[in-house]
Amino acid sequence: MTTLASTEFASSTLGKVLLSPRGGLSALCLAIVIICAVFAPLVSPYQYDIQNLPLANREPSWAHWMGTDEFGRDLLSRIIHGARTSLTVAVVAIGISVAIGMSLGAAAGYFGGLFDRLVTAAVDLSWSFPEILIALILIAIVGPGLGSTMIAIGIAYLAQFTRLTRAQVMALKNETYIEATKNLGAGHFHIIFRHLLPNALPPVIVAGMLATGNAIILEATLGFFGLGAQPPTPSWGGMMSSGTAQIFIAPWIIIFPGLAIAITVIAINLFGDAIIEALDIRNRLRDA
Amino acid sequence: MGYKTKALFLSASTIVSATMASVGLPAVAFAQEATFVLSAREVGAPSYNPIKATRLNAGNTFIYDRMVIQDADQSFHGQLATSWESSADGMSWTFKLRPNVKFHDGEPFNAKTIEWWVPKFAGTENAFMTDSIAKVEIVDDLTVKFVMKNPDPNMLFNMASTFMGVPSPKAYDALGDKYGVTGAVGTGPFKLESFVVGQQTVLVRNEAYNSASKLSANQGPAKIKKLTLREIAEDSTAFLELKTGGVDMLLSVPTDFLPKLQAEKGTKVITLPGTEVFYIPMNTSVAPFTDIKVREATAFAINQKEILTNLFGGVGAEANNFLISSLLEAKVDPKLNISYDPARSKKLLDDAGWTVGAGGIRAKGGVPLQVKLWTQNGTEFKRITEVVQAQLKAVGIGADITIFDAATITAQYKKLNEHQLAVRSYSWGNADILDWFFSGKRLGHPNHSMWNDPKAEELNLKAMKGSRTWDERVANFKAYHEYVLSQFVFAPIYQPVQNFAYSEARLSVPATIRGTRLQGQTIVDIEKK
Repeated sequence: MTTLASTEFASSTLGKVLLSPRGGLSALCLAIVIICAVFAPLVSPYQYDIQNLPLANREPSWAHWMGTDEFGRDLLSRIIHGARTSLTVAVVAIGISVAIGMSLGAAAGYFGGLFDRLVTAAVDLSWSFPEILIALILIAIVGPGLGSTMIAIGIAYLAQFTRLTRAQVMALKNETYIEATKNLGAGHFHIIFRHLLPNALPPVIVAGMLATGNAIILEATLGFFGLGAQPPTPSWGGMMSSGTAQIFIAPWIIIFPGLAIAITVIAINLFGDAIIEALDIRNRLRDA
Repeated sequence: MGYKTKALFLSASTIVSATMASVGLPAVAFAQEATFVLSAREVGAPSYNPIKATRLNAGNTFIYDRMVIQDADQSFHGQLATSWESSADGMSWTFKLRPNVKFHDGEPFNAKTIEWWVPKFAGTENAFMTDSIAKVEIVDDLTVKFVMKNPDPNMLFNMASTFMGVPSPKAYDALGDKYGVTGAVGTGPFKLESFVVGQQTVLVRNEAYNSASKLSANQGPAKIKKLTLREIAEDSTAFLELKTGGVDMLLSVPTDFLPKLQAEKGTKVITLPGTEVFYIPMNTSVAPFTDIKVREATAFAINQKEILTNLFGGVGAEANNFLISSLLEAKVDPKLNISYDPARSKKLLDDAGWTVGAGGIRAKGGVPLQVKLWTQNGTEFKRITEVVQAQLKAVGIGADITIFDAATITAQYKKLNEHQLAVRSYSWGNADILDWFFSGKRLGHPNHSMWNDPKAEELNLKAMKGSRTWDERVANFKAYHEYVLSQFVFAPIYQPVQNFAYSEARLSVPATIRGTRLQGQTIVDIEKK
């Protein structure tokens, strides 16, 4: 029984991902980051915002494993809470991108015509600008802060999900089963949401996974410029930004948040690669 | 590219370089070029128009000469003026002008220039410096007489202000609103070659310079031929540039970096008395700062000593009132000085009806005492602001920080009621800065406190225009200062010193810096090694 279950798990998509070396390792890293983010107040040794100026810029020790920052705050606690900020921003922002991008892309691909041309033109236009530029423009309009960062990143990544979904839907809408569904009298809404989008979802999930890594970097970049989470809320980018002023006095202030960003983004990318391999999505993407 | 081709190319390059080096051409050209980094607080200064600008960077004193300049001992020395005298009743000032001075565009400097220049201040933010002058009379080609509306014992200080650089009338009128951005023409030791706001200014030597003051050893053209002033907001980046040879001098060094720079081989640090004060203006026109008790509580929540000791390693001084401590007008009644007193702060908030609520933040009628705390880009601003945020929280005031760039924050202040608290600094060595920041005529910016109080206006007027002698002026400004303090429209934080750093291997700088700051009078003496 156990052997059968093990075999089933190993042959499932999740099993293939988790049992591959890079999939397993990256999943472990991501699990740690997610646990830190979700249970930050429980797992961090100190409060992230309590200043203790006489202890400023202390090097790593048993009391403060990653040292303290320029305000004497425990760096490990701030990195743990920073994981919450980075992941929340990235996940919400990519969620916005996926939700709006898939809806727009599906409608454009399915209906075609003028609406498709308008959506495609808008997407191509935004595609021609780097994501950071779009995000900076939007934050300049809305103002700095966590909410505006999420919206800005969400809009910056909208184009790729719109294009991806549109391409998938255009390929799928002429399939026989869609024709059959139409002939049975199904409405557009039913066809799009019941038949087309579920089939277009796997490549979007993978793209979303990979975009989450990029969104973390973009959030860190905006935080570095002081446009993301405002003090004392920690964000990895913001911590690196304040660390630059202390780089010759307390280099650990910039090194540890940098490592956190690097490890998280590498883990997300490896996990995404493992999913691609498990689902054999490269071929589907190429076809699309 | 094959190996032989590469070898040939490298050999040819080496021979050409060696030949050019031997004749000395590039060596001389490079030796006369220098790059300085402006103070982080001067980053983003939008113009070199001294008449209209409210923010100028140090480069202004390299382009323009002033009538007089002030030395560190507060004495005044002629630059474009060679001598001056005031009538016994203070109702006129006569200035003899330096002969044979020409602007960078070849136009002559003479009495007509001054007759054109003084009225240009009317209607600008800087008009207060010439307000007391009724008219300018030309006595002869090189003599002007200021006929006064009222005696102005501060006349020489005003004439020495960085905003009193004299521009070329021809260039000023020709460029109109673009003056100071696309072009700036003075009589100073350097000509403006290019200016990109927030990035850099390139200056070239004025070969005809002949109006150096006695504060400069070199009375001729500057020794540096080409001077680039870079704007770098991040102190560590500026430090790295100096360390790696990218720049030759930092015109401001944050206290954090002093030990590092002092230990750095080949780097010399100069320290001058400070003219700067960090403070928190409170917007008295919006709740909760319409209540003087909340303002007083906020002022007494700031722990100046903690900031001085822990953020600045004890270098500089605590600020306990609005003026730099070397001014006589800063010696106010000690009871009015503002020093950290958390018990008083908490009691005042209790008395005002703000009781401690969830998370230690006070509330009144269900409304939390959560305020906006603005600051601007720059390491020191951000660090002080974060500490202030924690200090306010300790007495029950929650503060949400927003960081703006220097240009945006000014536009935001001008909206009048958007801001509540802000961490700011000013650099000025005269008590008339009180008029600048607290006059009811300048609400929003630069009167960020939005303070418009009849008694204050009366005291302001008396101090600005009703003083016949210097002693009387000191007494009047002291009374105005004391009233400002009693109304808690700001909270004082910190007085830094001025630190400069340069590469000893690349620059030769005078042992003694004359003047109140490192300005044009010293730059002409600096030599590239």
